[in-house]
Parts: sequence; C-alpha cells; structure tokens
Amino acid sequence: MTTSTAAAPRLRPPRYRVDPRARRWWTVQALLTVSGPAFLVALTMTTLSLLFFPGALRWLGPLLLGVLVLPGLAYLLIMPPWRYRVHAWELGSTAVYSASGWFWQRRRITPLTKVQTVDTVIGPIQRGFGLATVIVTTASTAGDVRISGLGLDDATELARRIGEAAAVEEA
Amino acid sequence: MDWRKLDPRMIAVHTSWLAPPAASFLMALWISGGHLDLRGWLTLSGITLGFLAFTAAGVASWAKTRYRLTADAVEVRTGMFTRKLRTVRLNRIRNVDLTASPVHRLFGLTTLRIGTAGSTDLGSEVKLDALAAPVARALRAELLARATHTAAEDPVVSTINPRWLRYAPLTFWIFGGMVLVLGVGYRALEAIGIEAWRLPVVRRLAVEFGSSALWWTIPLAFLASTLLGVLGALALYVEGWWRYRLEWVSDSLLRVRRGLLTTRSVSIERCRLFGAVLREPLLLRFGGGAKVNAVAAGLGTEQQDSERSAVLPPAPRAEALRVVAGVLREPVSPLEDLVLTAHPKVAHRRRIVRGLLLVTLPLLVVPGVLGYLLTDVLLHLAWSTALASVPFVLWFARDAYRNLGHGLSGRYLVARSGTISRDTAALRRADVLSWTFADTPFSRRAGVVTLTAAVATVVGGYHVRDMAEADSAGFAERAVPGILTEFLDTDGSGEQLPAELVHCGAGGPVGADGAR
Repeated sequence: MTTSTAAAPRLRPPRYRVDPRARRWWTVQALLTVSGPAFLVALTMTTLSLLFFPGALRWLGPLLLGVLVLPGLAYLLIMPPWRYRVHAWELGSTAVYSASGWFWQRRRITPLTKVQTVDTVIGPIQRGFGLATVIVTTASTAGDVRISGLGLDDATELARRIGEAAAVEEA
Repeated sequence: MDWRKLDPRMIAVHTSWLAPPAASFLMALWISGGHLDLRGWLTLSGITLGFLAFTAAGVASWAKTRYRLTADAVEVRTGMFTRKLRTVRLNRIRNVDLTASPVHRLFGLTTLRIGTAGSTDLGSEVKLDALAAPVARALRAELLARATHTAAEDPVVSTINPRWLRYAPLTFWIFGGMVLVLGVGYRALEAIGIEAWRLPVVRRLAVEFGSSALWWTIPLAFLASTLLGVLGALALYVEGWWRYRLEWVSDSLLRVRRGLLTTRSVSIERCRLFGAVLREPLLLRFGGGAKVNAVAAGLGTEQQDSERSAVLPPAPRAEALRVVAGVLREPVSPLEDLVLTAHPKVAHRRRIVRGLLLVTLPLLVVPGVLGYLLTDVLLHLAWSTALASVPFVLWFARDAYRNLGHGLSGRYLVARSGTISRDTAALRRADVLSWTFADTPFSRRAGVVTLTAAVATVVGGYHVRDMAEADSAGFAERAVPGILTEFLDTDGSGEQLPAELVHCGAGGPVGADGAR
C-alpha cells in the first residue's frame, strides 16, 4: 500500500449508527432467508438418511455439517453484529452520506441537489422491531442511497429533512 | 517546410518483394537437387522478373515522392512519367491514420494516410508510404493540431470508410458464430420435428469425420469454421454499419444513422450526453482498432442502450479518438495522449489471485474430484489443464493490471479497466451524480478501494477499480469539488471509526447536527 501523505484527505465514516434493534432484525432476516433454509435442508436429509440409508450418514453427516450447518450458523452469528458495526449514516448540509454492507462494504455520498424521491419503507419483519428503511433515489441506480435499520421516528424525521433540504437546494 | 522525401528504408521494404521468388528459386533447386530443366528455369525467371518489376516500381515511386507542409496545406508530389501534385487544405483534413504492416514494423516505418471531409472513397486519400515511425507520429500530431480547430465545429463527425472492414473479423464472434449458426439450425429443425442427428447426411458426415485422419481434418474443420466466422463477421459489420453517418443535425442534437437492410437512426440530445467510452476488445486492440459508445441518458433498457449508444463501429484507434472528441464537442479528444495514474502493485497480485481462484482452481478441482471417484484419466486431465491455464491467467492478470488507470483530463474524469475488453470512459465531471467507495476486508488490507462515479444512464456507475485507498477521497474531491468536502478528514488522523460514531437509535435525536 502506498504511504499516505499527511495532506491526503480521507473520507471519515458517517457520524451516526443505525438503531441497535437492527441487529435482531438482521438476525431474523438471516434465519428466514439463509440459515433457516440451510438448517431445514440439513435436517431433512439427515432424517431421510437415518430412515432409509443409515450407512450413508458416515459421509453425509460431515458433508452437511461443513456445507450447510456451519456456514448457516456462521452467517447467523457473524453477519448481524458485523453489519451493525458498518452501517452508519449522516445528513450533511449539502449531501447525504451512508455506509452499508458487511463483507462487501460501501460508502456512498449523494448530493441533495441530485435527489429525486425519498421513500420510507417498512417491511413486515421490520414492523415487528419498529424499524424502517429510508431510500433516496437519484437519476442513476448507482446513486441511490438506502439507509436501513433506522428507528421508525428517526426514519420519518430523516426522510422529511432530506425531502426539505433537497427541495430547498433545488429552488 | 521544404520538400521532404520518404524514408530511405522503404527501399528495403520494396526489396522484400524479392523474397518470394528467391525462396521459390531455392526451393526448386533444393527439390530438383540442382538440376533444373529449361521449363523450370523459364518459370522461375518469369516469376523473378515479375517481382523485380514490382520492386523497381516501388523504388521508383519512393524516389519520386516528395511532400511538404505549407502554412495551410499538405502537398504531395508523385509520379515518374506523369507528375502529379496533390494539395490537401489543412481545414479539410478529417483524420490522419497511421498503419504499419509487419514488414514496415520490422524496419521501424509507418504509413500515414490523410482522409478529407466529404469523401469516403479510397482514391481521395493521400498516402505517405512510408515515414520513420517518430516522424509519422510528429507529422500526424502537427496535422491534427492545425486541423482540429475546425473539427469541433464540423457537424459531420464521422462517416463509414470501407477500409474499416478489416477490423470486422477482430471479434470473438468468428469463433462463436459457427456454434451459434449450428445451434440455431438445430433448434429450427427440432421445431419442425426433425432430429438433426438422425438425418442420413449428418450421420454419414459424422462417421466419415470419425474415420478420417483426425490430425488434418480437425485443423481443417477449425480453419473452415474460422473462415465462415470471418464471413459472418463481415456480413454483420456491413449490415449493421453500412451508410454509417454520425453528425450533429443541430447544435443540440447528435444523430447516428447506420444499417444496410435495417436502417437504425438514434438521436441523442446534447444535454443528456455525459461522456463517451472508448472500447477496445482484446483482438481489436491487438489490431490497433477501437469502437466508441456514447454515455447518454434515455437510451432505453440496458440491452437497448448497448446497441443504441454505439456511435462508431470497429475502426482505427485514431478515428475512434477523433469521434470521442467530436461527440463531446471538444477540439482535442480528452483521451488523446493520456497519462493515467497507475494503480498500486497490489492490484496486480489481486488479479493473479482472482484468476487462479476462478479459472485454475475449478479446472483442478472439478475433474480432480470426478477423477478421484471415477477414473485416473481425469486426474491427469485435471493437473495438466490446471497447469496449462497458469500462464494464461498470469498474462491476463498482468494485462488487466496494466490497463487499470484513472485521471482527469480537462472537463473529464477518465477511468480505464478491463482486459477482454479494455474500456476507457471519459465522463463529464459536472455530470457525476454521486460517489461510492466499495471495499472488502481483503481490499482494505491491501489498501485499495473501488470508486464508482454514478451517472444518470442505465449503466449507472462507472468504476475506478482498485485504486489506492489513500488517494481515493482526494481524487473524488478533485474530480468533482464539493460533493464530499464536508465528510473529509483533512488533518490526516485517519481511522477513528468507532470513536467518532455516536449511538443515536432507540429514541435518540436524529442527528443533532441537523439543526445547524
């Protein structure tokens, strides 16, 4: 890596973390989409093998454990806290700034002048945790900002303020 | 400037015409064991005389050709018996094309062609065959520098040149085309209820192919399919690009018209045109060619966009650069004489690792596992193909790394990457909507980041892949000042992620700073 000179400006992280409840939301999400199905498949195959091919369990067991159970468990345990450490947001005076992802992380800065719409989306699981996602769209899909895992009130307030700021900037 | 001669090394190039008769002479002597009959002597001397005449004509035309650059024109004097003087006004010059045949290259020579506006046939071109490569480059630069002040105002940006057809076969279609044709044919037969394999003709062919001497029928089949592919590529090029014309129909509307059977016409408003991409697929790049796509909004879905945004078919690179300039209405192409910032060495290593993981490892593992379960032959296949893939992976990784680069060129942000297709995008800096910095734990450890500039097209983002993390924010800020200024940390204190973050969920205020 090149040595950074003292003068080279660095992008600092956004100032605010998302709601801590987002961790539980992501856990449930992981359970429903990735880990849960993996566990179910492993369980079904083990049961079938026990019932009909008891001999196969010797190699099927480790295989299922290595391919389905452990990765599923790892995803369930690692992803939510990791994601929580990464996700952050900030509304500046001229731009909205967000950090998202966990393994693949991205930080996106979109000027308020380029904002086209601001949506607040509450999914069925999110509703249970009192969370919401704010989606800021621009003329380019590569410019859209999603801030997920905000508290409901925070999200509404943020959406309102982005909308106002964008309208003011445009005028 | 005084009258100048062509390069004296051209004598050597013309003399190289004597190589075929000399070779056939030697060959005949060798085969006949030194005893040639009268007919042999006559044939050989006939051939030799023919080639001698060729050489003599070439040398004479070299000796009689002079050229000079005056204040407002290029003049070329040619001809042994009928003297000819051609004058090309500088403001009529549309393009200057440099080409070098392998023999020319051997002697460090380059042929320079000057194309003029309003004429597309080959006879109207002025050709200097040949100049020393640096002389040719300098002359071209000078001609373009003095000619281009009108290029930005010339409404016709480019028109088809039959000479460009030589770039048509330089696509991978010439290998895939055959398979495609067979596949379509098979499906068509299947649709009307005929199974191609059951046709007696096909079965006989297959049987005969199997029983023939494979060591020559396989290369022959390959050659034949390549030839068919070349014909197919030529047909596609002609169908798609005949009567091609790229022009500014008004001050704010760029129009591409092309096509032989189907005529396509695409109009792009100037205010929705954000830049251009110079595309150099591998084969085309080796052939010294390139194509150009416009970066524009409102060209339909992603697939429609890739078709409609094409503003230049495979053509000489110099022409492509000129078209980029014309599309962007800049006097000089922002991609001309580019000096791009190279990316950190670690990006090279990442490309090698990626190649080994995505190509060599599957080649090793898939047949390896099958071989372990089934037969030893597959095991040998596994290690040998995996081993054979390593040089290719290394070459592609090196090429991909060398093609990485980014920079600023006037009003444009330039980003280059890719090896199968090297794409150089020039985006108008003012039209960048948003910045994205993407990384993974691996790239963070390597100190690189992929920077994406969002533009309002269907493609959306243009990437600066694996640039030095330390330079990324500075580059983005220089390219489009203002977007990220308030999120920058200029005191160089760097990573302080957890300390700076404030918990603000669970009823906490939304950004206390928002009140300012």
